[in-house]
Amino acid sequence: MKVDIMHIAKLSRLKIEEEQIPKFEKDVENILSMVQNLPELDDNGALIDPDNPMTLREDKAEQNFKRDELLKNAPATKAGCVVVPKVVE
Amino acid sequence: MELYNFTATELSDMLKEKKVSAAEITKAFTDRIDAVDDKINAFVTVTKDLALAKAEEVDKKLAAGEALSDLAGIPIAIKDNICTKDILTTCSSKMLSEFVPPYNATVIEKLNSLDYVPLGKVNMDEFAMGSSCETSYFKKTSNPHNTEYVPGGSSGGSAACVSAGEAPLSLGSDTGGSIRLPSAYCGVVGLKPTYSSVSRYGLIAFASSLDQIGPIGRSVSDVAMLYSAICGKDNKDATTANREYADFKADLSADIKGKVIGLPKEYFSDGISDEVKKNVMSASKVLEENGAVLKEISLPSTDFALNAYYIISSAEASSNLARFDGVKYGFRAKDYNSLTEMYENTRSEGFGDEVKRRILLGTFVLSSGYYDAYYKKAKLLQQRILKEFSGEFTSCDVILTPTAPDTAFKIGENFGDPLKMYAADICTTTVNIAGLPAISLPCGKGANGMPIGMQLIGNKFSEQNLLNTAYCYEKAVGEFNTVASIK
Repeated sequence: MKVDIMHIAKLSRLKIEEEQIPKFEKDVENILSMVQNLPELDDNGALIDPDNPMTLREDKAEQNFKRDELLKNAPATKAGCVVVPKVVE
Repeated sequence: MELYNFTATELSDMLKEKKVSAAEITKAFTDRIDAVDDKINAFVTVTKDLALAKAEEVDKKLAAGEALSDLAGIPIAIKDNICTKDILTTCSSKMLSEFVPPYNATVIEKLNSLDYVPLGKVNMDEFAMGSSCETSYFKKTSNPHNTEYVPGGSSGGSAACVSAGEAPLSLGSDTGGSIRLPSAYCGVVGLKPTYSSVSRYGLIAFASSLDQIGPIGRSVSDVAMLYSAICGKDNKDATTANREYADFKADLSADIKGKVIGLPKEYFSDGISDEVKKNVMSASKVLEENGAVLKEISLPSTDFALNAYYIISSAEASSNLARFDGVKYGFRAKDYNSLTEMYENTRSEGFGDEVKRRILLGTFVLSSGYYDAYYKKAKLLQQRILKEFSGEFTSCDVILTPTAPDTAFKIGENFGDPLKMYAADICTTTVNIAGLPAISLPCGKGANGMPIGMQLIGNKFSEQNLLNTAYCYEKAVGEFNTVASIK
């Protein structure tokens, strides 16, 4: 299995340095050769446990956090908002 | 005997009988951390002042005659991927090296309400991806039985600190064996609970359909006590099951007469070292002598479980880790000219190589043209594995296997070789794939002096049964709660 590591890296928003490409390519290809050996199986049934149902909580707005508490961890903020590079020209 | 040698159950009793104060207990463990953690490197953050303040609160309650919970005044170390309000939570990654959560995970809220003592945050493989604790951005944790060896991963700090007597109890998390493998390597007891029995709210997500928080201790009773404290329905985690749980410690019983213990032949194959096989088989004889009935069984899809595991877990990881983009929290790269470049530089500088490998693998198996060949097949195999287990549990109460194919390896021995590293998970990943509970117990040592672990697997929500079988073994072989003599 040949993997286009630069394409996958682009989809993953990862930058891979030129000299590291062969290493990552080999690693991912080795892992793929390990995992691709899977039997053919019929597609039937869903992974739901009827004895232990999961339930959703009521869809009700709650105030859990204050804005400034959450923004404390942001790398850059201004006027109560996170700051990112200009997106629209 | 120094206080750090006692189990949490013993300390809890001594505290209630006023033979010792909570402050004395906490001091014993913080002193032990000061004395040995430069060799073990289990802790990323030690919250000494907070721990002592909490212990003093417990002593005040005790003096005022208030009833205390079993965990009151008991110091517990927390894996660094579980969010603790106002306490650094790094996931052992550069990406979160300065992250201070504004909220507590549900398990922490539960422990707080029981007056536990927060001892600190412990090291792990970066984002819980690894089997040796070597992928941490900060440091490599050592195995207390021999500091040249890895403690196992990813909850390496959680297992090592308990084994070294730096904490009587800890919380870890287990996605493919991350509680059980380090417990086996460090000679302690670790429980991976049934998927959906413990809330994942506040656990930094790796593979959400497999992740589960669980306890590590030096006795079965300690693990039962901590599991009882953290399990239960949580409105903040929709995947938690809507059911009531017993008090697992109060209901512990060593009576296993007539219990059928299945020995799946696939777990005793060529890939498992002879000394591990021998020790696990000897353990099965101990259970037989105590009234259990042994039965050879077969779980034919076992050989494929590791493959399915790496596909499913990496796929989910690639999606879960998309949130680390340098915008709302965490690390942000210094140099960039556009938003896309900021994302790319942040992620490339913030994640280590193992995390990148898993993101790349996960992105690949979910990408156009490959989804059916990998992800869908793995999900179908997951159903097959579930069915095989369900079939065996109609005639077995518990399944006994090795926890790991071998004892711990040396630091650096498998580092940078993903396939060798992944093979350590061969006995544990099936359990996560099937959502089952499993416990790892010490069962002797290998020729290199490193502990061997055995794994008991149960049907969904059969933790009491698992703990009872484990308790029976513990009683039969004598206590296995001794602190490692650090070498």
